[in-house]
Amino acid sequence: MEDLVERLARGNITEVKVMLMSVALALAGYQLVLISVGYGKLRPRFLDPGPASQAHRASGDAIVVLLVVVAVMCLSYFGLEEGAFHAVTGASLLAVLAVKIVVLRWWHAAGRFLPVLGITVFLLLAATWLSTAGAFLA
Amino acid sequence: MRTQTRQLIGSLLVAAVIVAVTIAVVTAKFGPTSAAELEALKERQEQRLEQQEERLEEQEERLGDREDRRN
Repeated sequence: MEDLVERLARGNITEVKVMLMSVALALAGYQLVLISVGYGKLRPRFLDPGPASQAHRASGDAIVVLLVVVAVMCLSYFGLEEGAFHAVTGASLLAVLAVKIVVLRWWHAAGRFLPVLGITVFLLLAATWLSTAGAFLA
Repeated sequence: MRTQTRQLIGSLLVAAVIVAVTIAVVTAKFGPTSAAELEALKERQEQRLEQQEERLEEQEERLGDREDRRN
C-alpha cells in the first residue's frame, strides 16, 4: 500500500495530502454557505433552498471521498507518527463524518442533530488541516 | 431548463471554481518545483561530487605510483 501511495503521488505524498486537505477545507466552507441557504438562514435571490441542499449533498460526497483518500494516505504512509493532536482530530473527523452519514441515510430520527454534526465536521476538518497543511504552507 | 436545475448547476460550478482556485493557490505556495524533483536534483549533485572525488583519488594514486617508480 505504501508503495502504491508513493507511486500515485510520485513521491510528493505530503504535497498531495496538503492539496487534497486544502480542497476539502475550501469546499467545507462553501458547504456552510450552501446549507445556510438550504435551511433558509440566508436567502439570496439567485439560489433557492432546494438546489442549495442538493449541491450541499453532492459537494459533501466529494469531500467524503477526498477525506477517505487522505486518511488512507496518512495511515499507510505516515502511520501515527504525525503527532497526537493530528491523529486525534483526524480520527474524530472521520468518526463524526461517519455518524453524520448514518444520520443522513438511515437514522432520520436524529436529523435534528445534523447542524451540530455538520459544524463539528467543519471545525475538526479545520483543526486537522491546521495541524499539518497549515504548518506546511506557513 | 428549469430554474432549479439551473441553480443546481450554478452551485456545482461555483464548487468547481473553488476547487480550481484552491489548487492554484496551494500550488503557488509550493512553488514550481516538486519535492521529488528537488530530491532528484540533490541526488544528481551528490553523484557528481562522488565522481569528482573518485577522479581526484585516481589521479593521486597515479601520481603516487609514478613517484614510487622514480624512487
